[in-house]
Amino acid sequence: MSSARSRLPHVLFALHSVVATFCVVGPGYRWWGASARPFVLGLPWSLVWALIWLVAVFASLLLYERYTRRVEDDAARTTSGEGR
Amino acid sequence: MGEFALSTDAWIVSGVALAYLVGCLWVGMRGGSGASDSALGYVAGDRALGPLVMYFIIGATVFSAFSFLATPGLALTSGAAVFYVLGYGLVGFIPFYFLGPRAARLGRSRGYITQAEMVAGECRHAPLAGTMALVSALSFVPYLALQIKGAGLVVNRLTEGQVPEWLGAAVCYAVVLAYVLKSGVLGVGWTNVFQGVLMMALAWAFGLWLPYKLYGGVGPMFEQIAAAKPEVEGGPLFLSAPGAKTWTWFLNSGVISMIGFVCWPHLFMKAFSARDERTLRRTVVFYPTFMIFLVPIFLIGFAGVLFPSRPASPEQILPHMLMSLDLPALVVGLFCAGALAAGMSTGDAIVHASASILVRDGWITALRRPLTSTQERRAVRVLIVVLMLASYALAVLYRGDLVSLLLYAYGPIAQFLPGLLVSLLGRRRDGVALHVALVVGVVVCVTLKLYPERAPWGVHEGLCGLAANSVVLLALSLARGWRPFSASSGSSAPA
Repeated sequence: MSSARSRLPHVLFALHSVVATFCVVGPGYRWWGASARPFVLGLPWSLVWALIWLVAVFASLLLYERYTRRVEDDAARTTSGEGR
Repeated sequence: MGEFALSTDAWIVSGVALAYLVGCLWVGMRGGSGASDSALGYVAGDRALGPLVMYFIIGATVFSAFSFLATPGLALTSGAAVFYVLGYGLVGFIPFYFLGPRAARLGRSRGYITQAEMVAGECRHAPLAGTMALVSALSFVPYLALQIKGAGLVVNRLTEGQVPEWLGAAVCYAVVLAYVLKSGVLGVGWTNVFQGVLMMALAWAFGLWLPYKLYGGVGPMFEQIAAAKPEVEGGPLFLSAPGAKTWTWFLNSGVISMIGFVCWPHLFMKAFSARDERTLRRTVVFYPTFMIFLVPIFLIGFAGVLFPSRPASPEQILPHMLMSLDLPALVVGLFCAGALAAGMSTGDAIVHASASILVRDGWITALRRPLTSTQERRAVRVLIVVLMLASYALAVLYRGDLVSLLLYAYGPIAQFLPGLLVSLLGRRRDGVALHVALVVGVVVCVTLKLYPERAPWGVHEGLCGLAANSVVLLALSLARGWRPFSASSGSSAPA
């Protein structure tokens, strides 16, 4: 159970990255991001779509890096505790 | 000598550009003072680069003369097709989050400082490093030529043709040559910080000011373009992806660029320069913030769509608009400095990486000719000069457009992907199979570049090469029984 839970962030990040790739360089762009309208804050939707993914990819990378760091710190603490 | 007689405005533009070049030279010459006097110090900065330098070295290296000149040109001629640049740049670097730290770990434990050295070492097949070095150099020369050509073009247009392209390019890249020779990767890194800040500030300034000046703002600009262009379902054709290009072109360009992006040796080898794995991961995390820099570049290109006159070639749209608007020469000079910064920040990393690769991977690893640290440093410096001269000659003689030059370079480089994945993630590695597959991939890629009509369904030659590469790798590896290799049993790479 705990192993499945510890795998979840990795699976979610991988899934998010695959979806992002599909949506910005794959057919997802054609299906959902190609049209010029509506204009959002004066920008065409075809640009806004890529910018939304830019924010989403940045957020997911930020969260995933925090998680990776926490796991590494926990592992380092455990190792140093065992050493003592 | 009469052709070099400059007007007052041309003197001011040249003066600002020269001030920028002096700044670069100063930063670049001082940048290398902290490195050891060894090949490791010169090529990999003693594996001690911190987060700030890593962020700018990756960001500024990626944004090149292509970004400042060809991207607005593409927006001008093809509209929303240009957004593929944002797409591939955004996701192309994610694999580095995993591959970078693994490579850094291997680099520390086995002494690798280049990509090909790592792949050949992990697969225990030294000749592979030589082939990768050759392919890298063949791709780097046109890419470097693109940066040199961009520098010459900017100086020439902004001085109203009074400074010839060959002279502008020669002066800019003499500066690059000086600080790369003196300071190695640390000179490249610190100048990239300086150049990165400068080009981002100027891109935003021009990207917001031009639409305001010409159309009354960004929103009104897109509304006016939409009104002037034919409508299809979903909005005006020009602002709907893939703009004036086809979906095949859009998806092809995005996918090949994304793959090539993660394989670029000059970017990949920065994994061996970072202080630690966290620094590398943070560089990847914050990389999308650098991508925002593309937005003002797009706006500059779209600002030219309804501009009353057109330049001789689309890549000249920004200099053309600036020259047509009767701006103060100081402002034009500042733009000149920003565009030069974009090209030089890529050119310096490329020339440094390609010379290091040829010496380390070609001479030392593949040909098994060991050099002392001092000899290696000297050999890298000699090759830097040779490669710079070859690229300069190509830049002066080449008459095609910049986008084609870049898309050519991505094809052969993308053939490194299977080798990288196998050496970093695979548990079983077959160096001979990888080597043969790489050669097949490159041959297919170059052949289809020469005969594009033979590419199936218009697929990019690099992707066709990669498909052939993967099939051959799989078939050969199966035929040869997936030769097992234990990761702990050493490598053929020099320490």
